[in-house]
Amino acid sequence: MASFFLSNEFGLIVGICIFIAIFSWVDANFWSPFNLFVISRSAGVYALIGLSMMAVIATGGLSLAIGAIGVCAAMAFGWAIESAGLHWSASLAVALAVALALGYVNGWLVVRTGIHSFVITLATMSVFFGGMLFLSQGQSFRALPAEITEFGRLKVFSISALFLTAVAVALLLAAFYRFAALGREMLAAGACPEAAELSGVHSGRMFILCHVLSAGLAGIAALLVTARFGAAIPSMAGQLGQDWLMPGFLAPVLGGTLLSGGRVSVPGTVLGAILVTILANGLLRMSIGEFWVQAILGCLLLAAVLGDVMRKRYLAASGRA
Amino acid sequence: MFNHSAFRSILAAGVVAIASSGAIAALDTKVGIVPGGPHPYFSAWGPSGKDASRDFKLGAADYKVPAKWELGEQNLLLESMVSQGYNAFIIFPGDSVGSVSTVADLVGHGAQVIAAGGCFKDPSKALFCLGTDTGNSAYLGTKELLKVMKGSKRILHLTGFMVDPNTQLRIDGVRKAAQEGGGTVVQVIADIDAPEAAAEKIGAFMAARAGEIDGIIATAWVPAVQAANSLRKLGDKRIRMVAIDHDEVVIKAIKDGFVDGTMLQNPYGQAYVGAYALDRLRHGCTVKADAPWKSNALTARFIDSGTAYVDAAKAGNFVGAMQEITKGLLNSFEATYLNCKK
Repeated sequence: MASFFLSNEFGLIVGICIFIAIFSWVDANFWSPFNLFVISRSAGVYALIGLSMMAVIATGGLSLAIGAIGVCAAMAFGWAIESAGLHWSASLAVALAVALALGYVNGWLVVRTGIHSFVITLATMSVFFGGMLFLSQGQSFRALPAEITEFGRLKVFSISALFLTAVAVALLLAAFYRFAALGREMLAAGACPEAAELSGVHSGRMFILCHVLSAGLAGIAALLVTARFGAAIPSMAGQLGQDWLMPGFLAPVLGGTLLSGGRVSVPGTVLGAILVTILANGLLRMSIGEFWVQAILGCLLLAAVLGDVMRKRYLAASGRA
Repeated sequence: MFNHSAFRSILAAGVVAIASSGAIAALDTKVGIVPGGPHPYFSAWGPSGKDASRDFKLGAADYKVPAKWELGEQNLLLESMVSQGYNAFIIFPGDSVGSVSTVADLVGHGAQVIAAGGCFKDPSKALFCLGTDTGNSAYLGTKELLKVMKGSKRILHLTGFMVDPNTQLRIDGVRKAAQEGGGTVVQVIADIDAPEAAAEKIGAFMAARAGEIDGIIATAWVPAVQAANSLRKLGDKRIRMVAIDHDEVVIKAIKDGFVDGTMLQNPYGQAYVGAYALDRLRHGCTVKADAPWKSNALTARFIDSGTAYVDAAKAGNFVGAMQEITKGLLNSFEATYLNCKK
């Protein structure tokens, strides 16, 4: 129990409660159904983006390409429905298959070249996004079935269905890392590849699978964004998919995922995403300058990274690393 | 030296007389004026909103800029504004398709929404789109360029972001005018409506291939400024150029003969007239179905906020040209586009 009170997750819960208290006190409309809906909708997407990045951070690497992969998956979904005439359920499979394949490319390149994932994914980010623009000619797909757009607007007691989906995915992912041998092997490979190899774990294969898992989560995030917009659009994650990088890093790092790999926190990542969303929403509602919101989020990331460094030093000093 | 606040004062003074005559108490109207992100083109929207708020006695007409050109940033900002009580919005779409669902959210909460500067793609819940007929402006600008070019007519087209719904319309407009006027578009350089990208790409092109072109048409703010600076640095008056907008660098380059002219847009009028229209719509007026709407590739409910060509002869009084455009638009707006109970 004592360790829980020292955990990132507990700190995040306290932080969320404090911010909610402040914003509720400043603005009575903070709890309005519409605001709860938009907060939960954004938090759901940010949580999945964070989980996508977390899956690669587990290897001690990172992926700058999650946004580009997400957009590719969403555009593949739109193409499968509009151009190929597939049912939306089959189109979901096509989209996820595209995402998983691109994740495999990333992982394979990282493992086979030995080059840091930063460089590889920096390159593939441009390749994937450029390829998507070439194939789609920058056109959006908006003739999506009503089920998709209705899902984007669906709410349960003012909570967006996108958030509930993200929570469901997070629960499955947490169970995967905790109970599945494959999940534990991924973390073992991320913590110390050499030691994992000695234990019979094929680290290279695990790294590839981490990228595949990350890409799959990015694909799901993109499909939720598609449902939110009611369209698959090339700009959904900004130029080259870079809009996803800040939420991608913020959520897992705040949540306590070790940047050096080997340890992830699924609930921490979800809580990190919720904290960031509430903070951004509350600051905007308080009419604090939009540019300050970005600065504050940047400071939050910096503080989280410094916290990560301190945690590693503490673990090293206490002989637990 | 061109001064933005002086420009605003002069422009506001020009239209205030008309505005005050039609003003009604409308303090319950809170207009949010939201561009897609930071850009000098929208700098006139802030003062324009303030002027509209004062002249039409609105509760507010606040200009709020998303910190970055991100659709998600704009959505978060709009969502926070609607729950703060803003009930009317003038929006430059972060994405012509992607922003449509956000408009539906805003309208679902009782807000009135119009697009300005760029349009939402039909069908959308936006009432209309008030902006420059960008394709036509690019077409007319290219025609002006072709008029001053002698001999071969090889044109370089500098333009904005491909995600901007206006960019393709501009590319098409320039191509059409070039074809009609016997010119050739040698190259289109897009995605350069940002200082670093514009400096790098225009600098590289001018260093390597300036001899291959006879004219430049710029259809986005930052490339226009950068190209005007490039021609001044090169001291090259062989290459003719028509720019866009009213940045002081462009206006000075016109006066000094490095640039032949510029196609003015009317961002001030878009926000000013847009705020007026939204207030009228919140107080019983409806949009006329049979108004003389123009259409473009995105919407069938387009209103041209006006454009004018300014050359060296008119560069000293370009504010007057914009003043006339705004006055004319405001004067005729209600009668032309709205049904209001008398």
